[in-house]
Amino acid sequence: MNKTQKIESMMEVVRILAGLVIAYAIALAILFAISEDPIYIVQQFILGPFSSPRRIGTVINLAIPFTICGLSMCFMYAVNKFNLVGEGIFMLSACMVTWVSLLLGPGLPSVVMLPIMFIVAILTGIVVSFIPAIMDRKFNANVVVVSLMLNSVIQSLATWILRYQVRDSSISYLGSREIPESIQLPKILGSFRVQSGLIVAIICVIVVAILFYKTAFGWKMRLVGANPRFATAVGLSSISISFIAQLAGGAFAGIAGATEMMCNYTRFQWTVTTQHGFDGLLVAVLAKKNPVLVPIGALFLAYIRIGADVVNTSGDIPTEFVTVIQGIIILLVAAESFLSGTKNKLIFKAAEKEEKEKEAKAA
Amino acid sequence: MTIDWIAFIAEGIRMATPLVFAALAALICNRAGMFNMGVEGMILCSALGAVIFAHYGGSVWIGLLGGIIIGLATGMFIAFASLTGKADLYLTCIAFNLMATGGTVFVMYLLTGEKSTTSGAFRSYQIPVVDIPIIKDIPVLGRIISGQSLITYIAAAAVFFMWFFLKRTRIGLRIRAVGENPKAAESVGISVNKIGYISFAICGVLAGLSGAFMSMSWVTFFMKNMVNGRGYIGLSAQNMAKGEPVGSALASLLFGFTDALATTLQNQTNFPVEFLEMLPYLATIFAIIITSIIAINKRRRIEQGAAK
Amino acid sequence: MAEVMRMQNITKIYPNGFVANKDITFAVGEHEIHALVGENGAGKTTLMKILFGMEAPQEGKIFINGKEEKIANPLDAIAKGVGMVHQHFMLVPSLTVAENVTLGAEPMKNGLFDFDGAVKATQEIADKYNFNVEALQKVRDLSVGQMQKVEILKALYKGARLLILDEPTAVLTPQETEELFEQLFKLRDSGVSIIFISHKLEEVMRICSKVTVLRHGRCMGSLDIEGLNEAAISKLMVGRDVVLKIDKEDPKPGKPVVEIKDLVKINSIGKNVLDGVDFTIHEGEVVGIAGVEGNGQTELSEVLAGLTGFTSGDVKLNGTSIKGKSVREIRDQGMAYIAEDRMVEGVAGDMSIKMNIVADRFTKPDFKKGLFMDAKKINDIADQYIKDFEILCDGREQPVRMLSGGNIQKVVVAREFTSGANFILACQPTRGIDVGTAEMIRKTIVRKSREEGTATLLISADLNEVLECSDRLLVMRKGKVVAAFPKANQVSEETLGEYMLGVKEMTQSEMEGLL
Repeated sequence: MNKTQKIESMMEVVRILAGLVIAYAIALAILFAISEDPIYIVQQFILGPFSSPRRIGTVINLAIPFTICGLSMCFMYAVNKFNLVGEGIFMLSACMVTWVSLLLGPGLPSVVMLPIMFIVAILTGIVVSFIPAIMDRKFNANVVVVSLMLNSVIQSLATWILRYQVRDSSISYLGSREIPESIQLPKILGSFRVQSGLIVAIICVIVVAILFYKTAFGWKMRLVGANPRFATAVGLSSISISFIAQLAGGAFAGIAGATEMMCNYTRFQWTVTTQHGFDGLLVAVLAKKNPVLVPIGALFLAYIRIGADVVNTSGDIPTEFVTVIQGIIILLVAAESFLSGTKNKLIFKAAEKEEKEKEAKAA
Repeated sequence: MTIDWIAFIAEGIRMATPLVFAALAALICNRAGMFNMGVEGMILCSALGAVIFAHYGGSVWIGLLGGIIIGLATGMFIAFASLTGKADLYLTCIAFNLMATGGTVFVMYLLTGEKSTTSGAFRSYQIPVVDIPIIKDIPVLGRIISGQSLITYIAAAAVFFMWFFLKRTRIGLRIRAVGENPKAAESVGISVNKIGYISFAICGVLAGLSGAFMSMSWVTFFMKNMVNGRGYIGLSAQNMAKGEPVGSALASLLFGFTDALATTLQNQTNFPVEFLEMLPYLATIFAIIITSIIAINKRRRIEQGAAK
Repeated sequence: MAEVMRMQNITKIYPNGFVANKDITFAVGEHEIHALVGENGAGKTTLMKILFGMEAPQEGKIFINGKEEKIANPLDAIAKGVGMVHQHFMLVPSLTVAENVTLGAEPMKNGLFDFDGAVKATQEIADKYNFNVEALQKVRDLSVGQMQKVEILKALYKGARLLILDEPTAVLTPQETEELFEQLFKLRDSGVSIIFISHKLEEVMRICSKVTVLRHGRCMGSLDIEGLNEAAISKLMVGRDVVLKIDKEDPKPGKPVVEIKDLVKINSIGKNVLDGVDFTIHEGEVVGIAGVEGNGQTELSEVLAGLTGFTSGDVKLNGTSIKGKSVREIRDQGMAYIAEDRMVEGVAGDMSIKMNIVADRFTKPDFKKGLFMDAKKINDIADQYIKDFEILCDGREQPVRMLSGGNIQKVVVAREFTSGANFILACQPTRGIDVGTAEMIRKTIVRKSREEGTATLLISADLNEVLECSDRLLVMRKGKVVAAFPKANQVSEETLGEYMLGVKEMTQSEMEGLL
């Protein structure tokens, strides 16, 4: 049995790596097929993200919201609720931070403003994720459908706030007034120009990892996710635990949106949701709902995104092709059959060997 | 504020057309035991496919066929990933919808150099509107029933076809058996996977029709993310009707009217457009709440012994 | 006698490394009812799944009527005249008998499903073999015995000449079993060969002419029944004499622990699944519940475990009502629960042995250190129980799903027996596990009642188990207690069967003092 366990965990890693490699190969093939100068483009796609400290910094910066959104989805995924409301929360949280900070004005210092902003973000996340979560709990409604519907509602709501509450009519495009300098977070690490959101992301990873593996609540969540009926039978309230996990996930999506807003923008200007919620799901899937692995998944995703951006600016390839690659990665990692033949063969061989050893011993 | 109620009803039916197809597409998968959220992305791909085929084929009919082919192909793709690849169906569908959103823009850009709509680069084709003789001259009714797009009539026919198909054909019987007890079906040699593929194929055709309607009747071009949750609304509609074709169509009709209401109010009042845009989604959420409250109350009444 | 089927040198290893069949050779002759016996987990079901095309063996050949055949799927098997009646019925409840029987080989008319033809064909076969079922009835309205007939009809309709019956009598009453045997004889005489999988040696001795014994995935030989006795077969099966008797002193019942008063539960389709259940369990006694499965035992255990509510009546545990209480509160009141299906409610397969063992108690303050879990204490407890209950594993962090059935059940009982509860609700505690573990669990149940004064409710479909372990025995039928006996080990299986089937029913006054 010991061998089986080893083979299983090894193959799990191999599967994820193989999935990434295949998806990457497909990406390169697409670039090759449609570009006029394929060699240069492919080179840019692979090496572009590393071509300057600034670009490396951009990869890290992009990985920051991916990490926090990935953590958010870890909560949902841990209790097996594909609550996708993080997508809407990310946008609304940035919008609420803008609105509240503009209402409070530039008078207050950062030490007062920043905690308020994070509280606003967390509350936004909890309040919004409360809706699908309570509908799941009270009415047994399908979380996926409700959260997707809700995202559309939130998108309109945030746009309405932008248009009628915080709009700066003096600029030519649709954008809010500038947020107070007290909440514009500085860049760190010199020429890499990394956002200070990195610190937020690192703190979040540590907090979530401890929560998952060292606290009773984390254990409860994982048990509920592994087998809800069993969790109920041993006296855990599966329903409330998955409910609270969804609220916690919402809170982290809120933090992600606020961090992105305060690090990366001076005005709120989104009129459509940003896909960060779905990116978070991809990261959580890659990390197998393990918060410690989330940053790695996020960095990988950021790397191919920046690669696509570089290609977009230096060539003729639209960035959207990355979403196709992203989809393929999720599918390959999620597909149980993928490489399962190899796994079974290895296990069969191991079992046969063990049998022979046993027989030899008996004889 | 004056509202032309007859035009409103006709518009409601028009808006319900893609939803009816979406609901039926989700329904056939649901009856085979699969919750297919991928309908959303399938419709989006078909909408683009229809426009591309029509443009290069030079005919609206080739466009319609193209929509169906793309619907079928995307259905097979999801079926392959979840049935043969054994990936979780929820994840498959979320991943697929993600690919559809980006992929349609990608393909559109490659073909037209545009990223938001094909209206500039591609010729627009419209599926013909059908005037039904005699009926079209009846006041009120004529304006509602006659003069709809051909696809709208196909949708009405599809509802009854679906009902007949599930009830009276061998495949229909097998789909119901697989959906209710896949092990039982498997034990008599019915391939659950094969039934799954068949359901996805039918689902694909219906999603294709829905997509073709979107880009060749609702409007006459493709634009980025134009399906905008209609697949999910159709999915909820059939879920509310517990997989019954006629009930699903009625639920879709209700959502179609909400959609029409939003458009009508948008044109005739100065109510903030953002709130009107929320209407169909809010309606879906409320409809889900109401149907589940009804179901829960019914069960509670039975369990308390009131209904014997 | 000609051979209709031969399986030659079959080896099957599952993806988790479990060797289910090793080099098994097995043949069935014409006009033969051939018994396939072995302990649970000996590989009988796997071997039959291979024959029916549901699993592919790594090695070995299959011959049908002397010709080598590849059986890739059930359709293949059916086409070659093999039919299988599964242990768990493979029926679609909302469809009619006729639709279920013809499913997979439906009669057609004008390109559409010919419903009338299906009804006619079904009724014809049913009449031919004297099966008393109505083709137009919905399967969900049938009794268990009738469902099994539908299963056999399904195979016959598709032209089965070799019928596999996987533990067909497990869910039947003694009287229904009799009826089934009559029909099997009739089938055999009309030329159908039958493979009869069973645990019940007396049934094997009665109806079979040959027996093949499997043990731990290996074939221990095929023998003629004539000249054999039960003891010889059982010796081949388990390699030692089966201990069926459990030595125990008379119970000394103390104060009542569980008091069930007029308990009624109506389910979501309006059926009274519990219909006025009324009895008491005292300190230091084991109360057994026998009954054909599906007569309210599962619902009773779910109510007692706090998993579902009930419509009226009351249940008191240690003097306090459990009405409206959560599972947590009921467990804190002193309940432990060995669930009927261990993979569904007994363990979380993907989680470690450690987490499964402490799953019911890690939320308590003594397992915490400040905000965090007390890792050392939890590890120590897990290691201790792995040792005490002899759980065969690679350590406390191994996922439970990788263990064998018996060892998984040991994880369940390690948790439930040590929870400190004075009421143990044991549902099918030894189903599908090896004899050694089963014996350990049964003995522990009895020992805890005698030494620690635990009150136990034992719900089991294994008659041997309820008869031997219980002190008092109750019989449930249609959601009611229909019989009560003061001493379980003095009740005969025949008497029990009559009450289970409803031939007889005790009056309230007869059961007075025994509830």
